[in-house]
Amino acid sequence: MTRLDRRNFMKLAGASSAALAAGAGASGQALAGTADIPSKEASGIDFSPTTGKQLEAIPSACWQCVTRDSIIGHVEDGRLRKIEGNPNSIRTLGKLCARGQAGVNQVYFPDRILYPLQRVGKRGEHKWKRISWDEALDTIAAKLKELRDAGTPELFMYQYGRHKASQAATMYDFMAAYGTKTIGNHTSVCEAGKWVGQESLWGGMYDNWDYDNTDFVVIFGSNNFEAHTNHIPTAQRLIRAKVQRNVPVYTFDVRLTNTAAMSTEWVPINVGHDGLVMLAMCNVIMNEGLFRKDHFKFMRVTKDYKASVDDRIAAVTSQVAAFTPEFAEEQSGVPADKIRQIARDFAKANSACLVTYRGTVMHYHGADQERAAMLLAAITNNLDRAGGRVMGVGAGWKHPSSPVAEVHKSLNINDGFPGEAAYPTHHVSHQVWPMIKDGSHGRPKVYWWSCYNPAFINGDNNGVAAIMADESIVPFQICTTIVYDESSQYADIILPDVTYLERWDWEDMVSANQIAEFYIRQPLVKPLGEARCQGDVWPELAKRIGFELAYSSKEDFVRQSCEMTPGVKGAGGFEYMKKHGVWHDPNAKPNYGFYEATVDTSGDGVILDDETGVYWNWKKSGAKDEAEAKSVGYLKTPGAKKGYVAQDIDGTAYLAYPPNTKFVKAGYLDFYSDNFAEKGLPAFPTYTPIPEHTKKADDELILTTYKTAVHTHSRTTHCKWLSEIKHDNPAWINSKTAAERGIKDGDAIKVTNGTGEIATTAYVTEGIIPGIIAISHSLGRQQSGVYGSGKASPTPGGGAADPDAKNKWWDKHGVHPNVLMANWSDPISGTMRWMDNVVRVAKA
Amino acid sequence: MTETKAPMVNRRDVLTGAGGAAAVGAVAVAVPASEAKAAAKAPRWAMVMDLRACIGCRACTVACKAENDVSLGRFRTVVQEKTWGTFPETKKRFLPIMCNHCAGNEKDKVPPCVTACPEYPGERRKWTIPSGEKIRYRHGATYKRPDGLILIDKELCIGCGKCLDACPYGVRSFDPFVKAGKDPTEQAADKCDMCAHRVDNGVEPACVNTCQGRARIFGDLNDPESEVSMLVKEHNLATPDYVLLHEEGTNPHVFYLDPDGVMKTVYKQREKGKLDHYVDQIP
Repeated sequence: MTRLDRRNFMKLAGASSAALAAGAGASGQALAGTADIPSKEASGIDFSPTTGKQLEAIPSACWQCVTRDSIIGHVEDGRLRKIEGNPNSIRTLGKLCARGQAGVNQVYFPDRILYPLQRVGKRGEHKWKRISWDEALDTIAAKLKELRDAGTPELFMYQYGRHKASQAATMYDFMAAYGTKTIGNHTSVCEAGKWVGQESLWGGMYDNWDYDNTDFVVIFGSNNFEAHTNHIPTAQRLIRAKVQRNVPVYTFDVRLTNTAAMSTEWVPINVGHDGLVMLAMCNVIMNEGLFRKDHFKFMRVTKDYKASVDDRIAAVTSQVAAFTPEFAEEQSGVPADKIRQIARDFAKANSACLVTYRGTVMHYHGADQERAAMLLAAITNNLDRAGGRVMGVGAGWKHPSSPVAEVHKSLNINDGFPGEAAYPTHHVSHQVWPMIKDGSHGRPKVYWWSCYNPAFINGDNNGVAAIMADESIVPFQICTTIVYDESSQYADIILPDVTYLERWDWEDMVSANQIAEFYIRQPLVKPLGEARCQGDVWPELAKRIGFELAYSSKEDFVRQSCEMTPGVKGAGGFEYMKKHGVWHDPNAKPNYGFYEATVDTSGDGVILDDETGVYWNWKKSGAKDEAEAKSVGYLKTPGAKKGYVAQDIDGTAYLAYPPNTKFVKAGYLDFYSDNFAEKGLPAFPTYTPIPEHTKKADDELILTTYKTAVHTHSRTTHCKWLSEIKHDNPAWINSKTAAERGIKDGDAIKVTNGTGEIATTAYVTEGIIPGIIAISHSLGRQQSGVYGSGKASPTPGGGAADPDAKNKWWDKHGVHPNVLMANWSDPISGTMRWMDNVVRVAKA
Repeated sequence: MTETKAPMVNRRDVLTGAGGAAAVGAVAVAVPASEAKAAAKAPRWAMVMDLRACIGCRACTVACKAENDVSLGRFRTVVQEKTWGTFPETKKRFLPIMCNHCAGNEKDKVPPCVTACPEYPGERRKWTIPSGEKIRYRHGATYKRPDGLILIDKELCIGCGKCLDACPYGVRSFDPFVKAGKDPTEQAADKCDMCAHRVDNGVEPACVNTCQGRARIFGDLNDPESEVSMLVKEHNLATPDYVLLHEEGTNPHVFYLDPDGVMKTVYKQREKGKLDHYVDQIP
């Protein structure tokens, strides 16, 4: 695999150029500290290993993944040398993962796009000429102005992958001022099913796990130690809980992930059965009387809003009666006794976290599996309690807004084909390109994408590429990017984006300790070449089209936001944030059990809805008058949830679980969901076998994918320090499954199905269940520059040469499993059924 | 490993605090009070790797690359991982490895990499401890500083590669970007220097700074109050089972807190003349 014997070192040595370092270990230097390490004063600073000079330390924020850790950048003479965690962050506690540490590579990788480019050959011919920003913006402004003037601003579509906080806010602000609502995201390939499952219940979204206070952890389909949406804040707290407080951690997964490996026990489970095992745990807990009554009064478990707690307990017991541990064992492969033991320990623990992620939700009825997880947490009184599954808390920033355009509308291509998904509250992004091709719901005339790579990250990604390549489908395509990739190769204009280390933002990601952290991103170095932040492009473009925005640059937007946001402003506003990077309210306390707050219902316009027991303010609902509001009722009045005040429970008005999302519901946890029942979906969490798996032939295998500790899905392969560690992705296959096919470790194999075909190699291991294969989905790049794809990008200009490029020693770059994935959607949430695909595997 | 002899601990260690933890079977000799006092102020840097807490995230590997701008094709620290057992009773664990900053055996007082260096022993140099007192030591292209760090002076290096071969752990490589100071036709040897440029300024090494699980703990063995001293004492880590290749007699100062016996199961030794074991790879 490697070729790092001494001879190679000698060869490299002979071929290398200078860049001489001064000799280390000069004598006579005094030690500044001995036993004080690590000291608070001595963190957040760094020194040059060659010159010994102290580096300039600038607080900012990571963007390698959605976790967005607060960081310190260490800069020497205008060059970024090193990134570390910000020791003053209550989220990250000064830690950073491998990806974050490799952020330096994002700025300086040799294939980086640094100038605006215009296509000169056919799409996909890789022929480009460098143009000026003026030319680029004039061309784009002319196209957009034409659509706007014609009253069809919706024919301009913008789609993004990773936009968050002020990066998203500035974009949405521009699009509203321009007039298009045709804005796509990427969430259906990410986690939409999890959000939808949660929204249907507690009205909020994004759970966090209170590892600092928990006594017991059960994880399903989530690789917290390698990846995850809140990796650094949560993973360190989880391993600390396990090592320092001996907290038991059980991880159900199809694969021996690092998380499973470092758990008290890895519990192998068949693909798509997380929800069933959770329901079986509920079965054990209900039948053995191990449940806690506390939460039942906040749960709606039958049609009847006013059922007694005893009735509710009886109803839940009956709903989960069919899911015996023995039945679950048959389907899931998890021994019934193991289910019983973990269920009992989970229920008896003083507090317990139930963790789920993509392994649970990226399935047929994945949103319902998430609902099963919420049920298990609720019956054990572990929802939003200290040490339990709690509602995420993030920073709430105020920010400037520009006037919205008079004509502000959308093409209906974001939520999948008609009837595809019942509640696509986070859209069906993987179907955007198939819908554009279909054309019956309209086609954008201009499509602009940024920090997004649809021809790599979606299902049937080669199919997406073919649509993007066809000039007759979308006539004008713009891509803002730092790297030439599978999608930008089909752009008509490429705009050079800044990296996250060269731009301004405010940030708001969820805390791990239930106290909001406000933090900012600021440039660590000047943008390389002519790279420009999107937030600086919007005001410039608006001017050229003929309207004004409420901010003149991204920095201005962040400055105004800092001066508008109460706590941040009080601390010193923009200047404080530039200096410290982070701020949190020192008096803030975790708001556990928010649903138990009692609410004053005496306000003007507040009425009690007889059917549901909801107190609501009809004046905020859009109802004509009180009489109409009363006769139509809370559930049937459009906009009634805007007027939600409280839930009456046994004569007390509780805040309960307000319907803060698109779901119309009362203040109960809607385990019985009218929303679901109305659409013919399971009203109560249940077990629904995955159709493709039940129909699967005996010799077929299920395909699953995963992330490793050193890559994101699509934005890190050009980072040399990460690809050096992980550049090939052989398919994990159990030794028995391999033997049945005559496959040995390292053999070339062919993986095929109706969607596509790949050639790869086998990694034969005992660390995966039989009957499946698992392939990491970060690799197999067609384009990603020399470190990611093995070939230089065909773009002129480019980043400065990296003398280290000649030391690149790997020549494998993996294969991409998405060519085998169909763009199937969960009929509940519209989430892409990422883990449902079936394949044939044979020795090549 | 069958022998049960403790790692050798040099006299200064024994007499200045670490001895309490590490002097299992070592010789305790009375020394003049003044020498003990001076020694007490000199640190003896060491690392404890808590294998219960290493989650294999590779932040240390990459932090080291970034901190020291380590070229592709070589590493100053890596995480080894191993999967063993039969499904479903399969296990996987992680082992971070790096230069052990060995104290060397009783006779040499320096590890084999220093002994192998043709430029060692070079001139006598003085090294100032925080109290202002000076400690004399022998310099070389590879040498042991009085605080225990094994360092490379690339200005003195001739690029012969003898230290690369001599290190039983195989943690040294040639730096393709730095010429050997005394023979510019060759490249200088390179390895982990415990981030001396940070440590000398009171900042912990880059790999320690970013470790999520606090699996890497750095500190002064000569300070009985330091976390490393307390861990070494509490878990009896200065014993053959908790250092790599004790039988080589190198007296390593990277200790593994390892109640589950992970170190011996996971550790992949170097093959002679090769460094494949020292390339961080995720399967």
